[in-house]
Amino acid sequence: MKTMFDLNRIDSQGGVVETSKQESEQAAINALEVRNLNFYYGSFQGLKDINLDIEQGKVTAFIGPSGCGKSTLLRTLNRMYDLYPGQRAEGEINFYGQNILASGQDLNLLRSRIGMVFQKPTPFPMSIYENIAFGVRLYEKLSRSEMDERVEWALNKAALWNEAKDKLNQSGLSLSGGQQQRLCIARGVAVKPSVILLDEPTSALDPISTGKIEELINELKHEYTIAIVTHNMQQAARVSDYTAYMYLGSLIEYGKTDDIFIKPKRKETEDYITGRFG
Amino acid sequence: MSNLSNVNKAIFAKRKRSNKIGLTLSMGAMVLGMIFLFWILSVLVIKGFSALDISLFINSTPAPGSEGGGLANAIVGSILLVGCCTLISTPIGVLAGLYLSEYGDRSRVASVTRFVTDIMLSAPSIVIGLFVYAFVVAQVRHFSGWAGTIALALIAVPVVVRTTENMLRLVPGSLREAAYALGTPKWKVAFKITLRAAQSGVMTGILLALARISGETAPLLFTALNNQFFSTNMNAPMANLPVVIFQFAMSPYDNWVELAWGGALLITFAVLALNILARVVFREKVQG
Amino acid sequence: MPDKHLSSQFDADLNSLSSRLLEMGGLVESQISTAMRAFTQMDLDTCNIVIENEKLVNDLEIQIDLACTELIARRQPTARDLRLVMAVSKAITNLERAGDEAERVAKRTKRLIETGATYNINVAEIRLSGQMAITLLRRSLDAFARLDTIAAAEVVAEDRQIDEEFRGFVRKLMTYMSEDPHIISTGLDMLTIAKAIERIGDHAKNIAEFVIYIAKGADVRHIPHEDLVREANKP
Repeated sequence: MKTMFDLNRIDSQGGVVETSKQESEQAAINALEVRNLNFYYGSFQGLKDINLDIEQGKVTAFIGPSGCGKSTLLRTLNRMYDLYPGQRAEGEINFYGQNILASGQDLNLLRSRIGMVFQKPTPFPMSIYENIAFGVRLYEKLSRSEMDERVEWALNKAALWNEAKDKLNQSGLSLSGGQQQRLCIARGVAVKPSVILLDEPTSALDPISTGKIEELINELKHEYTIAIVTHNMQQAARVSDYTAYMYLGSLIEYGKTDDIFIKPKRKETEDYITGRFG
Repeated sequence: MSNLSNVNKAIFAKRKRSNKIGLTLSMGAMVLGMIFLFWILSVLVIKGFSALDISLFINSTPAPGSEGGGLANAIVGSILLVGCCTLISTPIGVLAGLYLSEYGDRSRVASVTRFVTDIMLSAPSIVIGLFVYAFVVAQVRHFSGWAGTIALALIAVPVVVRTTENMLRLVPGSLREAAYALGTPKWKVAFKITLRAAQSGVMTGILLALARISGETAPLLFTALNNQFFSTNMNAPMANLPVVIFQFAMSPYDNWVELAWGGALLITFAVLALNILARVVFREKVQG
Repeated sequence: MPDKHLSSQFDADLNSLSSRLLEMGGLVESQISTAMRAFTQMDLDTCNIVIENEKLVNDLEIQIDLACTELIARRQPTARDLRLVMAVSKAITNLERAGDEAERVAKRTKRLIETGATYNINVAEIRLSGQMAITLLRRSLDAFARLDTIAAAEVVAEDRQIDEEFRGFVRKLMTYMSEDPHIISTGLDMLTIAKAIERIGDHAKNIAEFVIYIAKGADVRHIPHEDLVREANKP
């Protein structure tokens, strides 16, 4: 596992080989690029001129006080707001170059590429197996054995296989809260999206379940791009590579998590993360 | 400290008194209700029990003046009528309820539908019977089981629509959002997720509608009428329990009166069984 | 702009940490000046005072370190607060070592007195650099109290002068010792004392570097002086 300290190595002649610099200088690809995004709930403006990039293969965290717009921003990324009349977004969100706010998008297909896990665990009223197979069947045709493999793979990814493998036919509701949330994550992962959006995924869980899910995020990030909204700053510090601080609908500061938590550029950011709420 | 506990004692005593009064009043009301319920049930059992033997289920209704007889044709007729009605009204009611809850939340069509449904729910059943008489029976110039089915459906559908819509609304929005977030198209979310989550509630609604129409008499008077003989032809008048009871109860023949009580007993216990079944179904699924 | 945490206890803890550091700094300052007085006056009792009080300095280091650890465990400080705690934790090490150097001066002075060595070595450099070291330490602690990065940068620059004085004294000593081997033993003791003072200056410089780290977030250890000044002057 790569740690913070794998920065430089000494080669056999005693020379210093800088490794991490090389890797980070490989072109950073952005999974999502948000440009001039404005969002309205009726006449109330929820997001003001947001510009930021979400890098592929990294975890980006959104922090800020209640009502700052972080959940609103997350829900524009997969156009969940479309379900509710009166909510509209203006601007551009480029998903690998394609503007998902343009009209005429196949929203269902989009949402299968950009998945979301919510704060409250919501297993479907079916067996654990069916919960996972449901999403997969929407867009793929798999044989029974292929589906079995996919279900096992997804449950493994969510670190739930060992606990669930003997009760795949039991209702999803028979699991504990933390397990249900991991089931929701397995469900989201099973359809192999490019991006996974997590909206306060551990708010309703106990510390151990929270820890397991944070560990999960750490493992998932190698293959998926993850954006997480959290009101727990320490969680943002623990799991994310990039952090965005938002306040009253605006993006105040965005940068590497280490920079934000050790030397933030804006005083508003520093006041928030050090607990000087005024 | 001591005078504090004195004050508390006084308040406590007062509370105890008003608690007692309230409890007594509500227990009294319940007992009153229960008295009537048991009175009705015991009268039914006492009077109808004597009719309960195998001939009730084998023989058809007797001709005026003849001895013995049973209710076989009425029982079968009622089952046919109620069964056909359920087969028609369930899909219509569930789909309409689904539409109102999932698709038409604020459209004009939805509010009109709800309005009409509410009116139909409280429409007098005899008016419905008369309506079907005028538009179906009078047109084809004969009574039929189908007309009876239509009349019963006009009563059952609003019930199913209402309960389906209410049960679907109880499904939390977060469940729907979770389904949408996977890329599920709207119709699949409605049918495979929301409806499935509410299925026990919807089934309960259907069972309750069933229980309601099992005992409806007025609509059948003008539509299915009655049939003295055993018949399964829905195109002709169809025997059924409520109308038979109506006819036999006020007649001068003893065996007819006895059969009427027997029929009343049967209907009551069928409705009771349906209600209990509905409760069992709902509780099981909720705890599942 | 709010400068207080939502938790007043947190504010109190952080303030207490800073003031205890300054208290330890004051104690070390007085240790150094007492040691220099002992050396200048060649007074045995004064040496013993310094040697006894060294224990207080060590105790303070342990106490303040514990306070830093507790603060991290309880509050998980971030940004400026985190930098403060990290810097305090390191600065007390520097102070404790400066205290050790003061004790070393006292002990060597004591040996000089006990062996009855009179010095005919001109020790003006030691007295001068001793004064400079005390002043430098005081100014670095002042800069810490006010988080004044400009003053801190000046401290870093002026530590060089102490280094210069030390080198000058070493050269002089070498001349003396090569001319008269009898004074080598005394000379070595003097060398140790001079080296101790030079190190005190270095510790003051380190504390000044931490001030810039706390205020600006830049780690200015081991970087060229022009870069340090640039970081210190950033708004």
